[in-house]
Amino acid sequence: MTALRQDAGLPGLLSLLGHDAVADDGPVVTVAVAATDTEAAVRRLAAAPGARLADLFASGGNPAIDGDPVVLRMVWGLDSDRRYLVTESVIEGERYPALSDIVPAAFTEECEIYEQFGIRPAGDKPLNRVALPPQADPGFPRLGRPPAEQPADVHAAHFVGGQAFEFPFGPVRGVGVESLYYGLVTSGEELVDLYLFTWHKHRGVEWRLRGRTPREALFQVERTEGLGAVGVGWAFAAATEAAAGVEPPARAMRTRAIALELERLYNHAAATAALCQSTGLAVGQAAAEIALERLLRLNAAAFGHRYLFGVVDIGGARCGPDAAALRRELPGAYGELRRAADALLGTNSFLDRLEATGILTQEAAQRLGMVGPVARATGLRVDARADHPAAPYAEHPPAVATGQGGDVLARFRVMQAEAAESVRLIGDLLEAGAGPGCADLPEGTISRTGPPGSPDRSGLGWAESSRGEALAWVSLDEGGRIARARLRPASVRNWRGFDDACRSQNVFTDVPIIEASFWLTVAGMSR
Amino acid sequence: MTAASAAESSAGPARPASTAETAEALRRSVARQFRRSLHIRTLDTGSCAACEQEIRLLAAPHYDLHRLGFFFTPAPRHADLLMVTGPMIRAFDIAARKTYAAMPGPKLVVATGACALGGVYSSDAFTHGGIGETLPVDVWIPGCPPSPLALLQGLLVAVDRLAEKVRELTFTQEGDHR
Repeated sequence: MTALRQDAGLPGLLSLLGHDAVADDGPVVTVAVAATDTEAAVRRLAAAPGARLADLFASGGNPAIDGDPVVLRMVWGLDSDRRYLVTESVIEGERYPALSDIVPAAFTEECEIYEQFGIRPAGDKPLNRVALPPQADPGFPRLGRPPAEQPADVHAAHFVGGQAFEFPFGPVRGVGVESLYYGLVTSGEELVDLYLFTWHKHRGVEWRLRGRTPREALFQVERTEGLGAVGVGWAFAAATEAAAGVEPPARAMRTRAIALELERLYNHAAATAALCQSTGLAVGQAAAEIALERLLRLNAAAFGHRYLFGVVDIGGARCGPDAAALRRELPGAYGELRRAADALLGTNSFLDRLEATGILTQEAAQRLGMVGPVARATGLRVDARADHPAAPYAEHPPAVATGQGGDVLARFRVMQAEAAESVRLIGDLLEAGAGPGCADLPEGTISRTGPPGSPDRSGLGWAESSRGEALAWVSLDEGGRIARARLRPASVRNWRGFDDACRSQNVFTDVPIIEASFWLTVAGMSR
Repeated sequence: MTAASAAESSAGPARPASTAETAEALRRSVARQFRRSLHIRTLDTGSCAACEQEIRLLAAPHYDLHRLGFFFTPAPRHADLLMVTGPMIRAFDIAARKTYAAMPGPKLVVATGACALGGVYSSDAFTHGGIGETLPVDVWIPGCPPSPLALLQGLLVAVDRLAEKVRELTFTQEGDHR
């Protein structure tokens, strides 16, 4: 362990993985790891301080090509090093080392890879159904080959001496909320356990993106998680730009950042309104909704769309902000949110419902690889804007807000602090100058060489959306079309901590409060 | 025997009111009342969550749906109108049909947003590409997402459609007016 700490940092990690320091000194380092070495590599990375498994996904495995191997990729956030490490392992056969035994955060992705590519981790651990519905037969469209067996429909274990029973709820549930199936295990009042089915909303987005031009794909990507269109769109655009070797103009990057901060603002206002609704506080809800509506109208005034669709473009930004409208309207709209939040923080009946509700410990947040305000409320300082500063956040670093305790109240406070910081950032970015602009994309004829999936025709992109780090990985084919696009909105990460937060000594009526404080989308999770 | 002929045969000063007259009064009253109180159930069949946000804002102070006599209800049994978002994922067919079947007639289906109208997803193994194949749509509201004002406009159109549906009701069945 001592040796590891001395070796911390990228050169040390790479030598542990059996690589010399690579020449590429950019923000993303890609290394090949032999399938047989994967387990050892994961053990080393998991033990290294400041390394965090951010994503795990597969590509290849084309059923039309006999024996086409699956390539397993891990994305590690080396946050203290300000780099991402992408490992690539070619998996021959149907098994690979069980990574979730070492890094529990990998389990959801192992299940997803099993559904989509038919390869599974070693051992006989049952793999859950994640995305594909039960009626999906082997002929159902998927990214690779079908699995040998159907994944298991996981049900939570019933504890409490046989006194607990299961209360099914959904997929059609409350008014104006997304479809989601809850399996609530309860002894009457207390929530003993909970599991979720999200496959009702699986639209096969990653499957749809294949073969499209990046610009065509962006339309679908923005609609993967509408409340995170800028964050997910930016991550996808950045991945494509990295794959195609394009650098957007600085003004356009500032435009993206303004849109991203506006997205954060309206989402935090919406979460505040949802928190009031779930605690039955109609006055607070109305106040937060006034702020939310004003922020959405400001989005429309500044960019022409209430949810900022169509701002991000591959290679830049399609439209620039109306700076005058932003300067004129933002203080008032944010003032509404601030007033509502300050009043709520002085309302004991509200705070009582939030305090010690839905606790997620820092240990659990770290173990499950949580991101965004949910992770920061436990005291973890993870923020892609600060840890992996792409333009323009390198020149305009945000003050990262963290909380303590990991309960709903901590999340609420973190969101309010972030909203204030977003307003400051928007002012700075406007001052620095923002506008539309787009780097030329080598449409159709990407001159870079190398087989599909190789580092020089693929790229990783990221953005800190309002829910946390959104990641995308894109590989382009010879014609510049999408060969494989992996989208990992923050919702994919953070739902896995939801049941942990719900289990911690909560009752039924706490669940909507916890859900509002996580402020995730089912659309982003099951995409 | 039709309602009209029943009204002719039963016309007489001794009887308080004919079945047809009662039915007509009831019909007028329902048409009037539905304009004051219409209950909405929402159904997400695969939206990106933006339509849901706009629907929630209908009840917010800027729009205040309740002052117009519309109310949201979580129970399909109490709902007059189903607002459906998303491209109707095939895995959602059963839940969607059950929700619709649980609503009492006369009822309306409002396709809400570009996905529900068929503008975003194609018809394939994952989705129907729109909700028209699965549910009988009365009103289509375009927009990606439709703004709350567009939703209100759509709801007002829907109320007229509901009034038409109510006007077509007879409230009598063959033989029950003797």
